[in-house]
Amino acid sequence: MSAAEVLVVVRGGLEWLLALGAAPVLVYFTVVNTFSLLIIVLAALELRMQQHRDSAEVASHVGELIPGVSVIVPAHNEQAGVVQAVKALLTLRYPRHEVVVVDDGSTDQTLQCLVDAFDLVPVPRAVPQDVPVEAVVRQVLVPRDGRTRLVVVSKDNSGKTEAVNTGINAATETLVAIIDADSVLEPDALLRVARPFSDDPIRMVASGGSVRAANGSRIVDGRVVRVQLSRRWLPRIQVVEYFRAFLLGRAGWSRLGCLILISGAFGLFRRDLVVEVGGLNNSSIGEDFELVLRLHRHLRDQGRDYRLGFVAEPVAWTEVPESLAVLRRQRRRWHRGLWETLSAYRGMLLRPRYGRVGFLALPYYWVFELFAPLLEALGLIMLAAGLALGVIDVEFALLFLLLAYGYAAFVTLCALAVEEWGFHRHERWRDLPLIMAASVLENIGYRQLTVWWRLEGWWASLRGKKQVWGVMTRTGFDGGATRAGRDRAAR
Amino acid sequence: MRPQSLDIAIATTGWLCLGMMLLIVLLRVRRLLRARRQVALMAPYRRDLLVVGAGEDHDGAGARRLARTHGPAAGEVMGSAVEMLGKVRGTPADELIHLLTIRGEVSEAARRLSSLLAVRRARAAHVLGLCQQDPAVPQLIHALGDSTVEVRAAAAHALGLIGNPVAAPPLLRAVGATDAGIPACVAAEALLAMGTGVAGALLDGLADPQPRTRDVAAHVSGVGAFTRCRPQLRALLRDDADLTVRQTCAAALGAVGGAEDAEVLGRHTRQGVPLSLRRVCVAALGDLGDPEALPALAMLLHDPDPWLAELAAAALLQIDPGAGSTLSDMAGTEATDPRRGRPVASALLVAGLRGAVTE
Repeated sequence: MSAAEVLVVVRGGLEWLLALGAAPVLVYFTVVNTFSLLIIVLAALELRMQQHRDSAEVASHVGELIPGVSVIVPAHNEQAGVVQAVKALLTLRYPRHEVVVVDDGSTDQTLQCLVDAFDLVPVPRAVPQDVPVEAVVRQVLVPRDGRTRLVVVSKDNSGKTEAVNTGINAATETLVAIIDADSVLEPDALLRVARPFSDDPIRMVASGGSVRAANGSRIVDGRVVRVQLSRRWLPRIQVVEYFRAFLLGRAGWSRLGCLILISGAFGLFRRDLVVEVGGLNNSSIGEDFELVLRLHRHLRDQGRDYRLGFVAEPVAWTEVPESLAVLRRQRRRWHRGLWETLSAYRGMLLRPRYGRVGFLALPYYWVFELFAPLLEALGLIMLAAGLALGVIDVEFALLFLLLAYGYAAFVTLCALAVEEWGFHRHERWRDLPLIMAASVLENIGYRQLTVWWRLEGWWASLRGKKQVWGVMTRTGFDGGATRAGRDRAAR
Repeated sequence: MRPQSLDIAIATTGWLCLGMMLLIVLLRVRRLLRARRQVALMAPYRRDLLVVGAGEDHDGAGARRLARTHGPAAGEVMGSAVEMLGKVRGTPADELIHLLTIRGEVSEAARRLSSLLAVRRARAAHVLGLCQQDPAVPQLIHALGDSTVEVRAAAAHALGLIGNPVAAPPLLRAVGATDAGIPACVAAEALLAMGTGVAGALLDGLADPQPRTRDVAAHVSGVGAFTRCRPQLRALLRDDADLTVRQTCAAALGAVGGAEDAEVLGRHTRQGVPLSLRRVCVAALGDLGDPEALPALAMLLHDPDPWLAELAAAALLQIDPGAGSTLSDMAGTEATDPRRGRPVASALLVAGLRGAVTE
């Protein structure tokens, strides 16, 4: 068969494919962007309600009913920032909280730094096995003053999930807050994120707080003192992305009453329930997502009345990847975790027993999160090939770009308007044009790259390739020492 | 030649994006201008407000000047006075209430409780509470059934500020309302602020079919030292279908219980009871502080759950700091029998670090 004949066949196939798939792809992008817009509107309503409560000055009255919190911090080779992070956590505004640091077999001076900074002494405490953990606990240490509510558990290295489970076992309070060692919490973040529990102590089982990108911001003594954008475009775009997807997205889902994802970077859970369902799943990559779905399934199966909440205002600041290599690893892992978790819980899909979670949230995640990169890649390939072979005209290409990216840029700008109205965290005037430009630039190159990486992650999972935790080279919040650690699990 | 509709779509999208960018800028400009205007309007009155709020307006000149405000500044001044009222007590609070009353803010708030805007209703309830308007209690009780949660919460909070126990029964009923409840923490604070007059309502609340109501009633019974509720607390600890309620009852008994409750709590530390409840009961035995609890706690030192055993040892030391020497002997077995020795040794060490052990 000659090249010309091959071209004819390819052209014919592409025409057939376009006739079949063009309209569904356009409809898909219209629906996904419209749904995002709807979620942002719902988030704005949720935000307005929270603001009304604040304006009525009732929000600060948390009272005696607020449960105690154990803040669990898994740390692996975090010597550069762990002391500062723990000091900041100990001084959070909260009536009753303890900090449980789990040193996951660090090979640097993480443990020694903690011992020196807090004058720790070993106690012969046996950590319970409420959640089964395989790794051996080497020692438990507490401050010599007997007053500072800090517990450091040193264990053999076995990964972040087991470290968190060990922390849950060592925790003594009713609630457990799971955060990353390098997350920076606002002083009253814990107070606000725990508020749903004091509002409804019987039904509330978990609540999530918003996670924002801190790159470029000024941080002193573990506190963000000035919010500003990074000098690099990659983190700037992630600032916008985090805001749209992780803050407003979750606030919207919470408003709908079917939140199925609470970030591992900042989430609060009832300890007894986490123990009841067996803690975090060590074999799962998306362990935070998996835990929330497991809680939903468990509680629905038991027919229990329960609530999950999301509080938009408490902020955990986190450092987002500044290099393409690290970002690629992160996105591959996220999408792999998404696929593995969704497929593991496919039995919940469209089952009346699981209510809105089964009928709304999970179908959305299947169609608009899991399959999104596949359909977007398909659309882009068809577009490029169709244009090259002259199968499609410029009108169709423009229509595709308009619905896929123009509409998406508008949705992101709507999210930014909500940010300016409700939060206005980026106070500097010079950041305003940059952040607006980032919301447009996100659709040019960045989004296509993440589509490819997400497909890579999915493919790796389908091939059964083992997930390895990469090493993330951090610039560090203070712009000083370079910090190394595992790639974060922020979702 | 492109179809005209496509050109329109492209132009529309572009204009929408630009419009949204403009909106973002306008939102910021409006916010900054508003803040600047507020500062400017308040500037002539800030000192007077601070003087009144600090209780240093001895000749009443500051209050008189504040009372004479007019125009746009009046709204700002009254808003700031309300804000300050939430932070002060005694004479300054009385002066601010007087100021708000003569300016008609209180009567206006009573009217605004039936406003169409939820934020106005919530704000009105808040003002009535801060100004301790007892005549507004029936209206505020009615507001407990408002359609929006912020109004219900503000009304509950206001009832607590007023402190009239007549509101306790509706408050407890409102906590348990299925879809239109009020935040439990706000209700609990309000009930505690109402004083001993809520005891009867608490007894009813402990028998309520809604677990949220029972939980709040149990919590208030413990924190507010309502000893009359002990029998109900014991019954709920034994029989309640909700584990959280049982835990709250155990903690409450630890706070207000008597010697006879050592046996009740001790019974719920036995194997077969949910572990989280057992742990709460052990801590409650320590809080109870009654020597009757010592035998039950001594039994728990050998419990398979290491945290429970450590809690028991800590509770023993809490009740009897002199028990350290006896426990030291047990802790000495740590090397030969770590399962039994370690929890006791750990409790001893932690208590020692706190200076809570006597020789």
